[in-house]
Amino acid sequence: KKRFQRLHLLAAWIELQEAFLSALVSDNGDVMEEEIRGPVETGGSTSTFNTAWISRKGSFKIDRTLRELGSGLSDILGDEGVANTSDGDGSSNDGGGDLSEGDQSESEEFAQGVEESDSSEDEVAPRNTIGDVPFEWYKDEEHIGYNISGKKLKKKERQDKLDSFLASADDPNGWRKVMDEPNDEVVQLTKQEVKMICKVLKGKAPHKDFDPYSPYIDWFKMDAKHPLSSAPEPKRRFVLSKWENEKVVKLVRAIRKGLIKFDKPKEKPGVYDLWGDDSSSMEKAGHGLAYIPAPKPKLPGHEESYNPSLEYIPTQEEINSYQLLFEEDRPKFIPKQVVIHLHLLRFTSLRSVPAYENYVIESFERCLDLYMCPRARKKRINIDPESLKPKLPSRKDLKPYPTICYLEYRGHTGPVMSISTESSGQWIASGSSDGTVRIWEVETGRCLRVWELGEPVRHVSWNPSSDIPILAVSAGLDVFLLNAGLEDEERKMINKLLHIETSMAPDDTGKISSIVSWDQDDNHEGIRLKHFKTVSSVEWHRKGDYFSTVMPSDILSLCIMWLAEEPSDSNECFLRAILIHQLSKKSTQRIPFKLHGLPVSSAFHPTRSVFFVSTKKNVRVYDLLKQKLIKKLETGAREVSSIAIHPGGDNVIVGTREGKMCWFDMDLSSQPYRILKCHSKDINSVAFHRSYPLFASCSDDSTAYIFHGMVYSDLNQNPLVVPLEILRGHASANGRGVMDCKFHPRQPWLFIAGADSVQSDSDRSVMKTISALGRFCKDDRKISGGCGGGFTDVYSPGNHWLAISCSEVFLSSPIVVVEKIHPIEISEAVSVAARGSARVIEAAEADRAAIVHRRAIVCLTLLIYNRKARRGCGAFRVSLIRRLLRVGSYAGDGIASFGDGNWVPLDGIRVSILSVS
Amino acid sequence: FSASSLSSEAQKRGVGQRNSYSSVFYGDVDMDEDVEGNSRLVYVRFVTKLDDPFKVPDTQLGLPSNITRLGLSTVVNNVLQSGPSFYSARLLPFDVLRVPVIDFRRDNWRHEPFDFLINGELVRMSLEEFLLAKGISAEKVLEIEYIKAVAPRKQEEPSFHDDWVSAVDGSNPGFILTGCYDALGRVWKAAGLYVENDTGALVATASKDKTLRLWMFDAEESRGDPTKIRAYKTLRGHNASVQSIAAQPSGDMVCSGSWDCRINLWQTKESDAGASVSIKKRKKGSHDGESQSEGEPVSTLVGHTQCVSSVVWPQHGTIYSASWDHSIRRWDAETGNESLNTCCSDSSSSLDPIDSAVLIFCGKVINCIDIGGESSALIAAGGSDPILRIWDPRKPGSSAPIFQFSSHASWISACKWHKDSWFHLLSASYDGKIMLWDLRTAWPLAVIDSHEDKVLCADWWKGDSVISGGVDSKLCISSEISVK
Repeated sequence: KKRFQRLHLLAAWIELQEAFLSALVSDNGDVMEEEIRGPVETGGSTSTFNTAWISRKGSFKIDRTLRELGSGLSDILGDEGVANTSDGDGSSNDGGGDLSEGDQSESEEFAQGVEESDSSEDEVAPRNTIGDVPFEWYKDEEHIGYNISGKKLKKKERQDKLDSFLASADDPNGWRKVMDEPNDEVVQLTKQEVKMICKVLKGKAPHKDFDPYSPYIDWFKMDAKHPLSSAPEPKRRFVLSKWENEKVVKLVRAIRKGLIKFDKPKEKPGVYDLWGDDSSSMEKAGHGLAYIPAPKPKLPGHEESYNPSLEYIPTQEEINSYQLLFEEDRPKFIPKQVVIHLHLLRFTSLRSVPAYENYVIESFERCLDLYMCPRARKKRINIDPESLKPKLPSRKDLKPYPTICYLEYRGHTGPVMSISTESSGQWIASGSSDGTVRIWEVETGRCLRVWELGEPVRHVSWNPSSDIPILAVSAGLDVFLLNAGLEDEERKMINKLLHIETSMAPDDTGKISSIVSWDQDDNHEGIRLKHFKTVSSVEWHRKGDYFSTVMPSDILSLCIMWLAEEPSDSNECFLRAILIHQLSKKSTQRIPFKLHGLPVSSAFHPTRSVFFVSTKKNVRVYDLLKQKLIKKLETGAREVSSIAIHPGGDNVIVGTREGKMCWFDMDLSSQPYRILKCHSKDINSVAFHRSYPLFASCSDDSTAYIFHGMVYSDLNQNPLVVPLEILRGHASANGRGVMDCKFHPRQPWLFIAGADSVQSDSDRSVMKTISALGRFCKDDRKISGGCGGGFTDVYSPGNHWLAISCSEVFLSSPIVVVEKIHPIEISEAVSVAARGSARVIEAAEADRAAIVHRRAIVCLTLLIYNRKARRGCGAFRVSLIRRLLRVGSYAGDGIASFGDGNWVPLDGIRVSILSVS
Repeated sequence: FSASSLSSEAQKRGVGQRNSYSSVFYGDVDMDEDVEGNSRLVYVRFVTKLDDPFKVPDTQLGLPSNITRLGLSTVVNNVLQSGPSFYSARLLPFDVLRVPVIDFRRDNWRHEPFDFLINGELVRMSLEEFLLAKGISAEKVLEIEYIKAVAPRKQEEPSFHDDWVSAVDGSNPGFILTGCYDALGRVWKAAGLYVENDTGALVATASKDKTLRLWMFDAEESRGDPTKIRAYKTLRGHNASVQSIAAQPSGDMVCSGSWDCRINLWQTKESDAGASVSIKKRKKGSHDGESQSEGEPVSTLVGHTQCVSSVVWPQHGTIYSASWDHSIRRWDAETGNESLNTCCSDSSSSLDPIDSAVLIFCGKVINCIDIGGESSALIAAGGSDPILRIWDPRKPGSSAPIFQFSSHASWISACKWHKDSWFHLLSASYDGKIMLWDLRTAWPLAVIDSHEDKVLCADWWKGDSVISGGVDSKLCISSEISVK
């Protein structure tokens, strides 16, 4: 039995050994150094446990085998606590399955443990260095591995098992011997070691010195000091290597060349004004949908207090002035007041303040805003008006120019209609509506000569040639050529020039001679050219032989002529409006161009054979040699009144009846280069200086403007126009102001002719009539309202005065007011056509007649009223028109209105001619 | 005191008021106020170049510093009136001004207005202001020279013409020549009288009919009625109206400026000798087809580009001309034919070498010119602005006027130097005033306001009178002007 026990124990022992060895072989053994090393050290010998890598897995096996062994040992040794051991033995058997499961689960934790154990690896080097490989690989080899110097470790001569068993059975200490397989030797465990094993198996402290409560040293903290080496820092750690140096140089060069661009450091948003203006936020919404910030409401101030200080309460005047402001500009909040005992008082307490009356409205509007999305950006430009002014040279640098009136030429008894200077500048001629033409000495103001022509003088013009001192005067239907009488020797020559063979007069070769007849006028020592219409202007050619006369559109005489002789060629009448006469041959020719519109004035080019004709809206430039239209200058004005040509010939100024002056650069375009709007009333005349860079305009507002108009010879430079001076001095006489202005040909002097030299009573009454009518018309236009497209004017055909106010048909019915000073002679005709729709207006009132054309509607109201009832629109007495005679319709293109002397062409409008008798 | 000159205030303002020729009395009260208002005294000594009755003894006087020309004049008059023995001691101003009654006073003393010069400048403000302005110390004894005030004391009756008076000439002390727009020239002996001449005289007239005419009138013909003389010679050669005429000092030749931009020289001295008097004159429309000799210009000076408005011939060989082309030119009458104008070397250096004849270029039309002043070298000219300008052509390197008188309100039509004075000249203007100027002050000495309309012409006569004609058809003579 004993033998059997021993055998059994032996088997257990072998098993234990194997378990040990397998644990030793398995590389991933857990470290149990403290438990194992202690006895080794105390034992003083190099025990097998030194190298024992005991995995947990292995340790459990060992644990089990040791427990069995222990129980066997205790049986054998008769030690104490066998009963306990057997109990534990049983329980351990029960839990065997559990342990095997626990093996696998804990093997994963075990993997982590490997790294933890690295540090202890170097302390004692194993003799065999094969590492963690199965010993079976060396099963057939003669060596079991290699030592540290690479030599093979020879296998020892192995006893066979039976012998060794027998030897161990014989050996009393045989059970203590353990095979150290990697080193291939037998190690005998000491008593202490065995004890320790037993204690470990029991789960107790392995030896007495073991301190389970030793302080924990955390070697693996982050900041734990590992003074691994106290060597100084090697140089390479802080000195760049050569390669790095090259790389750095490359980068530096690239940065210098700008190949590498750094990102700009982002600006940190600084502090900003939370309550500030939101205007900057407009900029940040640069792209995409326009971001419109909500308007920031003004913070309430003192004035919104229920009981503000007195200075915040607006006075009545201020409240009234608020009404004049734009609605947006008005202050949003006006302190409210209560009326107590007929006194305006402030609210005495907050309690008495009523509810906000606009609350509902504002809420509603806010809802509408949100609903309709009406928040819009309003372009209100806040620009300093000064900065918009063009940079002009100083007036001082542009001297000389006329500034002060030094001389007056007194003598005319009526408005001076026209003046003209002699080419040398010694004399000046003037024509007045008192029927006289005078020549003045410029230097002293001496009147040298007076002609009484009988009819109001419309225009005077000196012959530009200094050798031929002849004055051309248009008065009524006649043009007089007068000998100024300045020449002594050449008097005969001029007499000869002004002499007409009587035989020349009767030869009627064509129609033209029937228009103009050249007669000798013995009363005035000159020639009288009888025209069929009133001649408004006479202009000389620069050589003094040719001159042109303009007969502005007298529609009545046109009509009469038209009725009298069969209107074979209607254009004939227009061609006759401008005639060119030749003094030396005493001949007259019409201009060979078709005029589109009604001529107002004409002018010759100062150097070339170019002829300017201004119609009511445009200025047409003709070449007289080639006989063709060169250019058409569009003024954009309603009515042109005068024209002047720059002495260079490339620039034209045109004065209009709206007070605007247009400067045309013929080289630039047909549109005005510059429009100067300075006069409040009609411009009567414009003039260029012959040598100084000056030009002037004069107007019915009794002023004359002087401008600096420098035309550069450099074609790239545009003309410089600088307003210089306003000349006043003439009083406004009955609505007419300055009638004409002319420059002295050589000095920087300007002559202006005013209408204020009226002295006779009859003239004054007539002039008064005009002004009164003019005023009325203004009122009328205002009352009819919305007549922006209409026009107002005063016409003076002979002795009768017509005031016409016309508006577009579709706005309101146009009114034509005719006043007759002599009510018996209602024989003139007035017609107004206005552009309108194709709608037919049937006007059947007794005092109104409408004539309907295919494309234009002419609506006429002829009101004949006496002078007393002139005031007020509704007060005048309307008398019936006796008869309204439609004369006919004229298919020429572009005439809208005509009275005596005035045409308004409108494109594509038919014309009706009316005669009222 | 008979202060027949202008009041000092008016002169201070430089505004021409109508001269008051009535006597003005300044009471003692005014003077006292002046004195007490400012107690500061300035010690002065009066000196003069005048002759004995106007000489004050060489004594010092203490005068209040705010005294003006009128006060000074009063003081001098009082001193003079008080007689020669008045100045025994240094007097207090109060005594002087209060006109103490002293035995030796001249009872029939006529008050004489004086003008006062300090360091060669006329006093035109209070003494204090003057000293302050000129930086003269008031501590020292001031030496004040006094001269008789240049102002007309008498206004003769105007002589009426039939039309505007366009030209006057007073170069002959015996009579006055006038030109008129009624195409007649008139010779006046005195105010209101037609000529009655004792010596034969040669008269040249220029007209707007492009001719010059030479007239000879001889002495005693019909005494009562105005005599009519006929021109003995017509000078034709201008193409336009003749604007101005001037005679050589010797009277042999006449030059004329015209609207044809030329200056013609004419010989007058082919007939018998006689005092030659030239007159600038305009007339028109004289049609006299009577037999008379005709003359041609000796030479023509071409250079002006516009109307030659005025010519003067102050020395034998030099002609000055002014034109509407804004230039004043000097011509050499001797070499007139070819290069025809030589300019002063000093002034030409600064001017355009091409147009070296241009002596002075002014920005305005020049209507009148005269040579006179210091050594007869200064040029006075007026034109189309209210400023009378005086140039010194000897001054090198500048064409700026050395004096400008701008009290007129309208164009200046005439300017004349006084024949004997370096400082005095007159100017006539379209504002109806004639002003007398002294170079030593910027304000007019006197304003003669006798015309109602534009004054077209004016001249000195006999050294102490101003004759003028204008649009109101009057020939006005302001006499008794005591230019020293």
